[in-house]
Amino acid sequence: MRRGERPILQLPRILVLGFVFLLAAQVTLHHYSQLRFENRYQALGKPFSAPIYSGMAMGSEQLLGHLLAIRLQLHDSQVGQHFSYNLIDYPILLDWLDRITMVSHGTEYPMLLASRVYTTTRDQQRLRLILGFIQRRFEDDPQLHWRRLAEASVIAKHRLGDLELALEMAAKIADQPASVKMPNWARDFKFLLLAEMNELESAIAIIQALLQSNAVHDPDEKRFLEVKLLEFQQKLFESQQSADG
Amino acid sequence: MNSQTISLFRFLMLGILSKRLLVLVAVMVLGAVLSGSFIDELAIINGAAIQTAFVADFLRYGLALLALLMIATSVAEDYESRQFERLLTMPLARWQYIAAQTLVIACLCLLLVLPVMVLISIYSNVAMGVYWAVALWLELFLLGLLGLLAILSLEKIPQAVIFTLAIYLLAKLSGLITLMLAESVKLSEGSVTSRVIEFIFSAILYVIPGTNSFAESDVFFDHVDLVALLGEQLLEVVVYALFILAVCLIDFYRKEFNI
Repeated sequence: MRRGERPILQLPRILVLGFVFLLAAQVTLHHYSQLRFENRYQALGKPFSAPIYSGMAMGSEQLLGHLLAIRLQLHDSQVGQHFSYNLIDYPILLDWLDRITMVSHGTEYPMLLASRVYTTTRDQQRLRLILGFIQRRFEDDPQLHWRRLAEASVIAKHRLGDLELALEMAAKIADQPASVKMPNWARDFKFLLLAEMNELESAIAIIQALLQSNAVHDPDEKRFLEVKLLEFQQKLFESQQSADG
Repeated sequence: MNSQTISLFRFLMLGILSKRLLVLVAVMVLGAVLSGSFIDELAIINGAAIQTAFVADFLRYGLALLALLMIATSVAEDYESRQFERLLTMPLARWQYIAAQTLVIACLCLLLVLPVMVLISIYSNVAMGVYWAVALWLELFLLGLLGLLAILSLEKIPQAVIFTLAIYLLAKLSGLITLMLAESVKLSEGSVTSRVIEFIFSAILYVIPGTNSFAESDVFFDHVDLVALLGEQLLEVVVYALFILAVCLIDFYRKEFNI
């Protein structure tokens, strides 16, 4: 049985006013403490040039590069608190990632930080910057970085909703020579995106070229491509019919 | 002649071993292992390589300082206890003292790098452990000889240690200093002062150890030919060590002792 309740207006006025006052005080205090908290964030300083770091490494460039990467990775944790990535100045962050890449050649660490850590930002502009970095640095060593570019392509498609950018990245992966070893799904990503963009004819042409050139040896992969080819041909046929109708 | 040198070496070596060397090395290894584990916890990828390189470098600088202090203390005690004067009354040539000290430095460095070899072999693999131990031995030996020269010339521990560390750091940071001086010439639009400083530094570089004389921790990340790398280092260290020994002999023969 539910107990009856008195309307708020019938409560003693001092009690209601006290409640409103304390609620306002709590909200104001929280707002200012949040501002104070953000003010405690120490911004990322600009890095030195790569030759300076190489000189400072005293012959241990790789180790220094990795330690700088760990230092950068911990930048969002200050005074025992975790700060939002939105507070980080991304152009400076990219400078750091570039310097670390230059100091320790052949390292995957900065690309991993870019694709797994700094892409978690909700800010679209920052996200575009970091995806641009991944796309640019992919060229340094496609064998080492294809995973990162594949991840970046997925992020561009799902988080940015920019299919053009995702396709550009997928095309870079697909266009790598056979000497760059990577699973077939990474190369197939391009035509899957094309199909999604309703570029069915291009997708069909790519699959047909792949099948006819005997570039695909794995039977499962071959079957997958054949199924996709039929599916896209069916979709294209249906779309042409609906356009004619 | 040889037996006298060996006897002198044994006497000097016992003096060094009595300084709780093993305890200090054990503390250093423990520090390296603990801080290496911390770094490994922080790393997202390549944790094993970063940890190994960190431990290797931590021990390199720690042991370099330890070796330097041991050698400087040993020779400084000989000065203080008027050991040289006593030795010169015996049928001993001055070069035999330098030879015995060189043997002491070689053996001390060997003692220091053995635990490092075991540790790096555990973290990485035996080949890497052996490479690092040999490369580190060469680096420590070179530093030890520099320390010997410094203490023979300056006779006081603080001055000798600072001088040796200065030469060591100058050699290690030569790339950075050259870069800074080149920038300074550019910024001053080629002023005479900047050019003179740059010239003096480039001249100094000829008489300090080259960058190939030191162990390379990049081997823990890259695939490199370890034998070729060691060959380059060995050549540079042998030439520089002989040069330092020649300077030591000249300096030691010039000294006058009141016998």
